[in-house]
Amino acid sequence: MSLLRIEDLHVEVDGKPILVGIDLAVEAGEVHAVMGPNGSGKSTLANVLAGRPGYDVVRGSMTVDGEDVRTLSPEERSLHGLFLAFQYPIEIPGVSNMEFLKAAVDAHALGRGEEPPTAVDFVKRARVAATRLQFDPDFLKRGVNDGFSGGEKKRNEILQMLILEPRLAVLDETDSGLDIDALQVVADGINAFRANSNAVVLVTHYQRLLNYVVPDHVHVLADGRIVHSGDRGLALELEERGYGWLGG
Amino acid sequence: MAGSAADAAALAERILAQGPSSYAPWLDRGPHLDLLERRALPELRAEAWRHTNVARWYEAVLHGTVTPVSSHRVESPAEVEVVDFADPRAAELQQLRGEETYRLSAQPITALNALLLGAGAAIRVPAGSAASDPIRIVDLPAAYQRILVIIEPDARVELIEEPSTYTHRLVEVVVQPGGQLVHRRHQAASSHLECSLVAVRAESGAHYELSLLSLGSDLRRNDIVASLAGVGANVTLRGAWRLDESRHLDNQVAVHHRVPGGTSRQTYRGVAADRSRAVLNGRIEIAPGAQQSDATLNTKNLLASDAAEVYAKPELEIYANDVKCSHGATVGAIDDDAVHYFRTRGIDEHTARTLFVRGFLREAIDDLDAAQMLGLIQ
Repeated sequence: MSLLRIEDLHVEVDGKPILVGIDLAVEAGEVHAVMGPNGSGKSTLANVLAGRPGYDVVRGSMTVDGEDVRTLSPEERSLHGLFLAFQYPIEIPGVSNMEFLKAAVDAHALGRGEEPPTAVDFVKRARVAATRLQFDPDFLKRGVNDGFSGGEKKRNEILQMLILEPRLAVLDETDSGLDIDALQVVADGINAFRANSNAVVLVTHYQRLLNYVVPDHVHVLADGRIVHSGDRGLALELEERGYGWLGG
Repeated sequence: MAGSAADAAALAERILAQGPSSYAPWLDRGPHLDLLERRALPELRAEAWRHTNVARWYEAVLHGTVTPVSSHRVESPAEVEVVDFADPRAAELQQLRGEETYRLSAQPITALNALLLGAGAAIRVPAGSAASDPIRIVDLPAAYQRILVIIEPDARVELIEEPSTYTHRLVEVVVQPGGQLVHRRHQAASSHLECSLVAVRAESGAHYELSLLSLGSDLRRNDIVASLAGVGANVTLRGAWRLDESRHLDNQVAVHHRVPGGTSRQTYRGVAADRSRAVLNGRIEIAPGAQQSDATLNTKNLLASDAAEVYAKPELEIYANDVKCSHGATVGAIDDDAVHYFRTRGIDEHTARTLFVRGFLREAIDDLDAAQMLGLIQ
């Protein structure tokens, strides 16, 4: 059974068709890159997986570990092991990273029928992740993404992924807007996360991240469907030739 | 149906007929009687009462809806002097206060406080003292109450008004040169109709800090007037409120920079849910000659339901040219994107909203435990 299986997925936003028949299977242990020009539907795919309101699945299915997630709420999808790293992480002044992460970790523990970790254990865990992603020690006290630079916001998404340990991580343009140092930190985080028990879908416009996180499969999305799939070589070819040669 | 003007007039007549309260007979009630005789109580739809139905409050005054506690409950550190207003010593403390901290003509309903007064505490914090424990006003045994607080030079103290029930409470505060007062007002949700006035004079180099935490009531009106009356005075006002059901909270704040070099900071965060109504009117006045005044006012409001109402209005009156003054007011809904973000991390919608609201209010809360105990945040 595939970890993620998407079949004939059609998605509309405001009644407008954006995805028009996506098929994708991702196995445990794999990293897939979904590439494509702006407006091809990449972010829609990421958002519809996470259950964003306003993204309507009009046909098809998407299953994670065999369970169709279409009818699950965003929080149920998260508890089921799905994680989305946002392209534009939200700033929430007044709610500290500590509170936010603890609430998420507690919800996941309760979802598994376990006791939430103690504050002390949780802080230890969070500190390790924060250090790995090169955050200052005051990170946990700061408001969620409040006043964060673009790079800090993206690193925070990866930190949340490391702490929540999802089965499937969908990273929506996590590489955009990163300088080379931040890109390296983010890539190290993703590589640390990679395991035989999970899978990663990297949604990206550029292949630059793929120099650091080597994908097993590369797909090209254009006009709402996957028009081409291949191995890592496809990403390099796209970098050289652009998206124009693939057609719709 | 009798008009509301009649309500104010009828109330004045009734109180004039029964005569003023005999409590604290040393109190000069002449101006208050005069105000009633001139029928100068605000009428329904008076501009200052746009958002609060003053006639409803008059009804509560007429019908005496408050059942007072039986005794004074004021806790204070040993070095602080606290006397009942009935004690002639209170008259001496009022002498120490100097001129009144507010203008009766601008606060006309305060006349009812003077005429119906039934309980009061006069408090003196001696020069140079720094009490480690706060003064707690737990309760006072009457529906019409006043609290007079004199912070003598360089004294420091914290004053907490715990949730209690009254029809009108007047709190007069004078912070003498170099003194510091942290004033906490904790207002629980209630079904009473109550008004209060906090009137403050901060003298040179004095610090006055107000932290208001409120849940609103059937009708709750808080007037706050703070004067920066000495060079280098500092006034910080914070307010956080969360209203639900059909609760009502009307905050009318005025900060007057009367002399040069004063600093005032105002931060308010309000959440209105269900059919509630929250008001913040914040005026900053900078008098002619009050140069190098530095004043800010920031108010943000969340409308948590379609039927809730929020009125947020900053007003500036500046008569000096070398000043720094800024204000901002926003009214918005709970950020759906933020709620979705929480949910994608496994946090259910209710918890997400709770965390969001708490985070929002927190920007105007400096004592989270108190806010939690009051039920303002979870």
